[in-house]
Amino acid sequence: MTDGWDKMTPAQRQDAFLAQWASGEGVPFVDEKAKAGYQARAKLMCDAFQLVKSPQRVPIVPLTTFAPTMLAGYGGKQAMYDPHAVGKAFLDFALKYDADAAGAAPMIMYGPTLEALGYQLYKWPGHGVPEHLSYQFVEKEYMKADEYDHLITDPTDFWLRSWIPKTHAALAALADMAPIYGTMELPMSSSWLISLGTPPAQEALKALMEASRLCFEWINALGPYLGQIMGHGYPFYAGGATKAPFDVLSDSFRGTTPLMMDLYRRPQKVLEAVERLVRPMITTGVSGAVANNNPMVFIPLHKGADGFMSDEQFQKYYWPTLKAVMYGLAEHGCVPCCFVEGGYNQRLEYLAETSDIRCLYLFDRTDMAKARQILGGKVCIGGGFSVSLLLTGTPEQVREETKKLLDVAAGDGGYMLSIGCALDEAKDATMKAFVDAGMEFGKY
Amino acid sequence: MADLKELVSAVVEMREDEAMALTKKLLADGTPPLAVFDAYQAALEEIGKRFEQQLYFIPELIMSGEMMKAASEIIKPLLADQSGGQGKQRLGKVVIATVEGDIHDIGKNIVAMMMDLGGLEVRDLGVDVPADRIIAEAKDFGADIIGLSGLLTLAFDPMKQVVEKLQAEGLRDKIKVIIGGGQMDEQVCKYVGADAFVTDAVAGVNYCKGWLA
Repeated sequence: MTDGWDKMTPAQRQDAFLAQWASGEGVPFVDEKAKAGYQARAKLMCDAFQLVKSPQRVPIVPLTTFAPTMLAGYGGKQAMYDPHAVGKAFLDFALKYDADAAGAAPMIMYGPTLEALGYQLYKWPGHGVPEHLSYQFVEKEYMKADEYDHLITDPTDFWLRSWIPKTHAALAALADMAPIYGTMELPMSSSWLISLGTPPAQEALKALMEASRLCFEWINALGPYLGQIMGHGYPFYAGGATKAPFDVLSDSFRGTTPLMMDLYRRPQKVLEAVERLVRPMITTGVSGAVANNNPMVFIPLHKGADGFMSDEQFQKYYWPTLKAVMYGLAEHGCVPCCFVEGGYNQRLEYLAETSDIRCLYLFDRTDMAKARQILGGKVCIGGGFSVSLLLTGTPEQVREETKKLLDVAAGDGGYMLSIGCALDEAKDATMKAFVDAGMEFGKY
Repeated sequence: MADLKELVSAVVEMREDEAMALTKKLLADGTPPLAVFDAYQAALEEIGKRFEQQLYFIPELIMSGEMMKAASEIIKPLLADQSGGQGKQRLGKVVIATVEGDIHDIGKNIVAMMMDLGGLEVRDLGVDVPADRIIAEAKDFGADIIGLSGLLTLAFDPMKQVVEKLQAEGLRDKIKVIIGGGQMDEQVCKYVGADAFVTDAVAGVNYCKGWLA
């Protein structure tokens, strides 16, 4: 990637990737002013990651999912079925509110693709939730207790022949596919192909072809808008995404209730499974970051929050593998950006352990004064603004609370102003008050 | 010889297999089913205390609920034979639901289970429940409390609607409203017009018990 890459420390690699991203090289800027704007905004974020003391200003980074489309007057269904509506709404949102980084529009997935797959893992507008709302996760036990060994032995095979058939109705027949390993010698290769040649498997492959064709069409429609957002000077706050291994196991595979019982019923299997998921989760994050030429890898954290498990359980089951994923990302020059949902007041000391790499902990309900006290000068922190105030308060209240938050959390650098939630909804006046207050009071 | 203290300890310490074996043994040895049932209640009380002291968390709540469920399946038929039911007075009635538009149920299910184990009579309406139905069910059930759950910000307005409708029906003074979920706070509580907000199950149960005392 860069000269001397092999000899660099993870933090040096991260700095090199950040510098490359912040340069805006290859971005089709509309004019020189836009280019300068992009570089200035990206620099604010780099300064925060690198804990630069007394930078120019706090970067303002509101995370958004459906908020830009909802503010534009589009219901959830339109957002998920019309990539032009999404693209236009995200572009308008960036230009109108003039924050320092734009939201990842592809997080609003494409409805027709999900339909073609018979997707079961979420309900989405018009498919299980009302058309004006956002998509919602459907948690179930998609991996049975006796499947731990399959996952541990071979995650890819588990994903392909067990989990995908259960969560994508149109691909259910892939469960009967023979393992791919038989293809290594000519006389053995027929069993895999025969299993894919059965009429149900052929139908599944057709559905996969159709879903991927639709998804490709969708990103080709959405892509030019994303180019325009950057072209107008707004970098994106994420290049890739991955998850903490325990959350993969909890959210997507076992389900919260069964997994919490597994901590007592089969603790060793849980440990083996989360360790086995470290490499795939690093690869997932790195591949997105490299493809988008943006080092920031978004990691939403769920079950490690205060209240879900004890400190001892966190230390044993959650933190070591999350940390391993973060360091693995850093090895590749990527910057882990953990979106710390819920409260983490009892876990802050752990987060301080990652002070030798660039990373961000963006908080939801954590006490920001405490976060600053424990993490200030060690790692970049962010967030802490309550979404409830943004949705139910007045612009004056928002302005006042933003100022208070900055006083408490911004310190002498290493802080990004954000709402502690990815916004599905927003209100124009309070959104504007939030960004304006950040601009006004976020100066060092 | 197994005794009830050992059973309480096995449940409190999450020794699931041992708790089940002891339950069966105690019953086989002729221990009154109600005494065995009471041992579980005592264990759950201790688990609730440990939760409040932040010694126990969600895994322990779920495990204890699961142990209680398994034990109840064995004990309840015997109790019915003996006394025609548990014979215990319930503290009060709670209607609980995830509000319209929101389909999340994990938090709600844990709260409903804890309320049931804590001596409240619970009618769980499920997820995505419209305000009108919540009111109708509360009236039909004779609820003392309505518990509204929601994970997403979109739950704020449907929660507010329930309180407004309750008011319009002239029932607001008779029925307490508690809201729960990850994004609930004082601000939302005021906006909705609820009596309390909680972000954990045991706090929710304690509020309800406090109101009914």
